Amino acid sequence: MGNQFGLFVTTDTTKCSGCKACELACFQVHNVKKNKVGMTVGTITVPVTPKLYVTVLPQASMPIQCKHCENSPCKAVCKQSAIAKVGNQIIVDEAKCIGCKDCLVACPFGAITLLPFYSGGKQVTQPGSTDAKVAASKCDLCYTETDGPACVRVCPNKALSVNDVDQQRKSKNIAAAEALALINSGAPERRAL
Amino acid sequence: MTVIAIDEAICTGCQECTKICPNLAIEGFPHQPQKINENKCVMCGQCVQKCKSYVSIAEHGISAYQEVHAARGMPDTVTEPLFAAHNVTHIMEVKKALADPNSYTLVQSAPAVRAAIAEDFGAPFGEIAAGKLAAALRKLGFDKVFDTNYAADVTIMEEGSELIHRVKNNGVLPMFTSCCPAWIRYLEFNYPTLRKHLSTCKSPQQMGGALFKTYGAKILNVPAQKIYSVSIMPCTAKQFESSRPEMIDSGQRDVDVVLTTRELVWLIKDAGIDFLGLPEEKFDLPMGDYSGAAEIFGVTGGVMEAALRTGYELITGEKIPAIDISAVRGTEGFRTAEIAVGDLTIKVGIVSGLKNVKPVMELLAAGKLDLHFVEVMTCPVGCVTGGGQPKLIEETYFESAYKRRISATYNHDLELPIRKSHDNPSVQALYTDFLKAPLGSLSHKLLHTTYCGDKKTDHKSH
Repeated sequence: MGNQFGLFVTTDTTKCSGCKACELACFQVHNVKKNKVGMTVGTITVPVTPKLYVTVLPQASMPIQCKHCENSPCKAVCKQSAIAKVGNQIIVDEAKCIGCKDCLVACPFGAITLLPFYSGGKQVTQPGSTDAKVAASKCDLCYTETDGPACVRVCPNKALSVNDVDQQRKSKNIAAAEALALINSGAPERRAL
Repeated sequence: MTVIAIDEAICTGCQECTKICPNLAIEGFPHQPQKINENKCVMCGQCVQKCKSYVSIAEHGISAYQEVHAARGMPDTVTEPLFAAHNVTHIMEVKKALADPNSYTLVQSAPAVRAAIAEDFGAPFGEIAAGKLAAALRKLGFDKVFDTNYAADVTIMEEGSELIHRVKNNGVLPMFTSCCPAWIRYLEFNYPTLRKHLSTCKSPQQMGGALFKTYGAKILNVPAQKIYSVSIMPCTAKQFESSRPEMIDSGQRDVDVVLTTRELVWLIKDAGIDFLGLPEEKFDLPMGDYSGAAEIFGVTGGVMEAALRTGYELITGEKIPAIDISAVRGTEGFRTAEIAVGDLTIKVGIVSGLKNVKPVMELLAAGKLDLHFVEVMTCPVGCVTGGGQPKLIEETYFESAYKRRISATYNHDLELPIRKSHDNPSVQALYTDFLKAPLGSLSHKLLHTTYCGDKKTDHKSH
């Protein structure tokens, strides 16, 4: 049985320091093959293009990232079919993206932006032009990674976690039911009330 | 002179650097840009290693990278990300000197550089690149490719002799190592009255610097004034050390400029050199000749082990039974050992990570530190994890990178034909032909110093 809903990463804002380790790791795992990024900063030759965006407020900080909405407005508005549902996750095909920004407008959280797009260490250009191509960049939940989202793995404060809301709801239901069962079981006189 | 800086426009105020700064030199409020208090900063550069707040297209705009890049004076060919915490680069000065036909360029590289530099070219952790390093430096156009490891062997001759002298003559004990400039800065800031416990030996970098422009100038037949002496270090604090007012014993600045391992990588990339494809070459003789004892200076406990290998044989006149002294190896923040050296029992302590030195200094101040010799290294497991080393993208890599840099260093020691500093024939020749004897008058002039703290006065006039 798979998850009923798309998974997404949430942040415990009491733990997040706003350090951007998540952004850097996100970029790293998505560019090992595509742009030969290794283990050290010196192996990076292309701009850092993450798929989540750390937002720092005076009172708190957190990365903003795609919630993999069930009724994905980004997917709904994309006229190029560049945004698709793979399993329960919402995934962008950078090659198909034309940079129209409709998904940026549609996303209520600002979880998507347009970023330059590099392959083989070189900037991808628009067809028939030397102008840079941009593509929608948003969380894909590291769906090709075996050890889960890189952001969750590297957070020095363990502030990030993968949220399975369906499973959480069921766990909460069970806990609530157990509490009620406890109240009822040992107190027949109260039941009479 | 600013060595380490935090770019306020880029800093997110996460304070991850504040948590690791060994002298609480980084100040500011959460979620606001942090500032370095230069009156506290020991310049170890661990904040540079830690910082993940980079110049971002999404946050700062597409032109921000070029602006910061230009402001920092980096070569155009370097396109790696730029972070808020950084060390001020001197790469352009070195490029200029290399292009100047009137300057005779000498270079030395610390042991830890060869244990990590290949990582920035995509090699796995723990690959020793001594031969490629020598080849790359030669290809860059340095007239002589000497080595800090040679100077480390000289350091052991001097420091080992100093320890023996202090033990036998009721000198100030325990004696503390003086190779690490961040540790010296820390001592000057926090325990100035305990400076007499520091070995008077200069660091290998500065011994090398003083020897290159005196003995080196003589054997190369080049006027010292013409020599431009460059040092490649895993360390951000070494640039500060080289600019200290004490470091002019050759008659001019002993080391003209210091580049970190990362800056050397930039220089190599800028010159279009395929580092991993280079053939293995040797360092130039005689001042590039080194023993395994010098190589292990790069890891915590290494200076101690190197000193014991030589000290044992100088005191007893016999061969040390086991060259590998496992009692002083390890990565714990403070560890002690007792080593039998003939009739003597030498009690040693090793501090790894500057935060761990405070309790040790408190014991010393209270007169309760019953040791002869203490090694202090600021960075987590010694210089292989220095602030100027290749910066790891993910913190989850730290442990395996540290382990492999350490094991690579010990393996390099094992594979070298000479493993004790006093057996280095080029160091023996230095003493026969020039210095005469460890702790002699020329050694005293060139290789030893007394740190004068913040006073800009000439220490030797007192």
